[in-house]
Amino acid sequence: MFVSDLRKEFYDVIVTQRVLLLVSPDVDALCACKILQALFQCDHVQYTLIPVSGWQELESIFLEHQEQFRYFVLINCGANIDLLETLQPPEETVFFICDTHRPIDVVNVYNDTQIKLLIKQDDDLEIPAYDDIFRDDEDEDEDDDSGNESEGSEPSGKRRRFDEGAVERRIERRRQRREWEARRREILFDYEQYEYHGTSSAMMMFELAWIMSKDSNDMLWWAILGLTDQWVQDRVTQMKYVTDVGTLQRHVSRHNHRNEDEENSLSIDCMRIAFEYDVRLSLYQHWSLYESICNSCYTSSSLKLWSVQGQKKLQEFLADMGLPLKQVKQKFNSMDISLKENLREMIEESANKFGMKDIRVQTFSVQFGFKNKFLASDIVFAVIALLENAERDENGTDNFIKALDSLSRSNLDKLHHGLELSKMLLRAIQQTVASCICTNLILSQGPFLYCYLMEGTPDVKMFSKPVSLSLLCKYLLKSFVSSTKNKRCKLLPLILAAPLDVEKGTVIMVGIPPEVEGSDKKNFFGRAFEKAAESTSSRTLHNQFDMSIVNLKTEDRSKFLDALISLLS
Amino acid sequence: MAESAGLENHRIKSFKNKGRDVETMRRHRNEVTIELRKNKRDEHLLKKRNVPQEESLEDSDVDGDFKSQNVTLEAILQNATSDNPTTQLSAVQAARKLLSSDRNPPIDDLIKSGILPILVKCLEADDNPSLQFEAAWALTNIASGTSAQTQAVVQSNAVPLFLRLLQSVHQNVCEQAVWALGNIIGDGPQCRDYVISLGVVKPLLSFINPSIPITFLRNVTWVIVNLCRNKDPPPPMETVQEILPALCVLIYHTDINILVDTVWALSYLTDGGNEQIQMVIDSGVVPYLVPLLSHQEVKVQTAALRAVGNIVTGTDEQTQVVLNCDVLSHFQNLLSHPKEKINKEAVWFLSNITAGNQQQVQAVIDAGLIPMIIHQLAKGDFGTQKEAAWAISNLTISGRKDQVSQVEYLVQQNVIQPFCNLLAVKDSQVVQVVLDGLKNILIMAGEEASTIAEIIEECGGLEKIEALQQHENEEIYKLAFEIIDQYFSADDIDEDQSLIPEATQGGTYNFEPSSNIQTKEFNF
Repeated sequence: MFVSDLRKEFYDVIVTQRVLLLVSPDVDALCACKILQALFQCDHVQYTLIPVSGWQELESIFLEHQEQFRYFVLINCGANIDLLETLQPPEETVFFICDTHRPIDVVNVYNDTQIKLLIKQDDDLEIPAYDDIFRDDEDEDEDDDSGNESEGSEPSGKRRRFDEGAVERRIERRRQRREWEARRREILFDYEQYEYHGTSSAMMMFELAWIMSKDSNDMLWWAILGLTDQWVQDRVTQMKYVTDVGTLQRHVSRHNHRNEDEENSLSIDCMRIAFEYDVRLSLYQHWSLYESICNSCYTSSSLKLWSVQGQKKLQEFLADMGLPLKQVKQKFNSMDISLKENLREMIEESANKFGMKDIRVQTFSVQFGFKNKFLASDIVFAVIALLENAERDENGTDNFIKALDSLSRSNLDKLHHGLELSKMLLRAIQQTVASCICTNLILSQGPFLYCYLMEGTPDVKMFSKPVSLSLLCKYLLKSFVSSTKNKRCKLLPLILAAPLDVEKGTVIMVGIPPEVEGSDKKNFFGRAFEKAAESTSSRTLHNQFDMSIVNLKTEDRSKFLDALISLLS
Repeated sequence: MAESAGLENHRIKSFKNKGRDVETMRRHRNEVTIELRKNKRDEHLLKKRNVPQEESLEDSDVDGDFKSQNVTLEAILQNATSDNPTTQLSAVQAARKLLSSDRNPPIDDLIKSGILPILVKCLEADDNPSLQFEAAWALTNIASGTSAQTQAVVQSNAVPLFLRLLQSVHQNVCEQAVWALGNIIGDGPQCRDYVISLGVVKPLLSFINPSIPITFLRNVTWVIVNLCRNKDPPPPMETVQEILPALCVLIYHTDINILVDTVWALSYLTDGGNEQIQMVIDSGVVPYLVPLLSHQEVKVQTAALRAVGNIVTGTDEQTQVVLNCDVLSHFQNLLSHPKEKINKEAVWFLSNITAGNQQQVQAVIDAGLIPMIIHQLAKGDFGTQKEAAWAISNLTISGRKDQVSQVEYLVQQNVIQPFCNLLAVKDSQVVQVVLDGLKNILIMAGEEASTIAEIIEECGGLEKIEALQQHENEEIYKLAFEIIDQYFSADDIDEDQSLIPEATQGGTYNFEPSSNIQTKEFNF
């Protein structure tokens, strides 16, 4: 069931209890977790935090801890499958689920006692009505009995004599039931067909803090990062993003109005959040402008930087802005102050001339003390890179903790490390995109585009991680759409596969919706993957909380794809 | 000759009673189905659990036309004793309707209201057959409920009146009385024998004549099924003798419902010990029963398979009667039947033939069924695999010299691997049966034992047998140990001796802690 009063039905319940916090490894979840941790610290709530990377881990961790805890808080996991069915929890176990995954499983929605959803009901949920999907199952037993009889069970010892009317009514009821079941299947099919994301979990947790008047500027920043993560990963519509930015902007002005007019508003330990119109250039303040332009998805795909022509265009673009190459290629920090003054306006103006009309974006920045200023998206990239750091063979928990730490402003060194890693990630993405397009690795399979990264491709190990792979997939599709002249192909979704574990012979596969104007960001690949796996009995593993990411055996890949093609044609 | 037959019987008996008796096996089969159903139900509950209920409540009580009639129990009760026949009839009818609408009949409410004596009284109204009919119907449905509800009807002394109604000239009244008696007889052996003692059998059987309507005959057949059902105690011998000729007639019937019930009745009778089996055989019904194994209706096949399966749990001679009807020719189809349940019962049947004498075992081999049994052993669902394990093990068990070639044949058909695979299951009964079988195969192989041992080792069986030496079940432990000791450790007997745990007085074994540690600390 939905929790309507976050404080009474959630926080007040757990504040006196021991809580197990299960957190999915994504930036929004980490930010939600930070907010909750801060609240827990205020109120001395005893909790244990465990990262869970997928369904299997969730199951095993639950099994391990179900006897020690009664209350479980799940962040960005658990909403989109039937948890009670999957975990078989004891009667007294209660799950609080704060999760952006949609659609929410209907049993989770309608269970009254064990499942509490910390999810905004005004999100566009379109949950089927209770009566359309649940029903007293007395009839079912009757049907069962008659089913057994036809198979040859023993004759019953006692029989009731029904009147004619009753027999007719029973037949009629069975007919109605069959109809109802058919309709139920249809309703559930429609409801479960598309996967998408709802309001950021960090924003939900911030709302909780705000309701309790315990919100701080730090918490607000985490909420902003949660939302920005959704934007970076292209998980919500432009409309939803802008609306949520508006909500957060009000909180920003509430928290950051003090000393606005005074000259010396900055101090060594201050934290200032500001709403910004900035440009879609990743990490430019921590990189060189040139590198940023080359490795940002928006500029790179618009200018087609993988081609000779694109490179020429880039030079023209820089010239148009009137920026000397030497300045552009050195560290942004060291650029001439005079050049930086009107930089954003200059970029915007030239970008417009080069067909990049959407280069301006609403976002937020933060300033810690005098020196460190970050755009929200920069930090999101840094945390993603820390989370999926494949540099050393560390287990997921280490990455998780480092990523979580990097969100505290006392750990700027970790954040800077993350920024460096994220530059490597963006470069790797850019190079892979360029090579895929130049060597025509993206194939049209009819109902979708398909690209497979061969083992041995540079940086391929980086893309065995779900978020990095999804980012690559998104950048690849954007670039492909701007490079192809085939109009039909522009409207197709993309499936990208990369080796997961060479020894085990497995690949990881992600599917994303088409790159179209005003896209609703709804993804049908989750269900399609499930169906294709079922019909070909391919050895797949749906372990990610995102259903549109699947692991499968390399040798089953072709039959799996064939099934997908016929399914989606 | 007679003496040796007696010996043979004794062997089979002791052996079929030694944990191999069919009753225990079937009892287990029932347990399994119940367990499955329970699981299914639990799953259901789990899904539903805690989901709001209000909506569904409203859905469940709308039923029936009694709501529209808006009758109260008090009104019914009052009017049912009215002197006005019309008022009385419509009150009883209203009660009947309450009980015959489709869901949640208010049986307990009606019993509590004290309506039973009134309804029973109505059964006496010979001048008003409609009233008799309605009252009998209402009582039928009350008796269709729980045992306590049925008992309430019996206690209100309705049975003699129902028996009296069997003589009624109005067929609908007769039929309803038959139905009511069926429910009472179906409650259990006590009620059954009580109704029999009041003389139900003769009038009941007298309804079986060419002029009876088919629906009526179905009811009569069903009551006969209930008369044959339940074995603690079984129905009186005289009753069985009376009923059997009727079943011999009904088994020709073309109506599927009647045929199915008839065959189930036979299956209950054959489930009541060797004496009852003999009575069924003597009735001459077996030659008609066996062909039903290939009937086009699965329902008929299932019941027939159960009935013949019960007969072959009897003596070798009784088993032979069934074999003489060419029963094995039906089993190619039954073993490849799409329904797992039928496969399982078919293998169960065969396991009792392979427990028979040498000719009977040979008949199974000659019918080409061994490869199919082995197929079920390897690929069937667990229940079927279990029966197949029994079938194989039984074949090896008698240990007579002239069976050596039969066991050889078994090995040639590659039985060892699937047989050994079952050593890994949790069910200790199965494990024991398989170990027994393996041991017998090894014994019978004589000089060739080392070849068999090799096969066992190659298919991973040895590893499993070794593991079973740690088994908590003493019998299994002993068997596993014996097999290893005799067939897999010929070279280093001396060393092995030291590992044999000492038997203490209670027959339990003491393990040196050090010998346990050895296995545990193997991983460094």
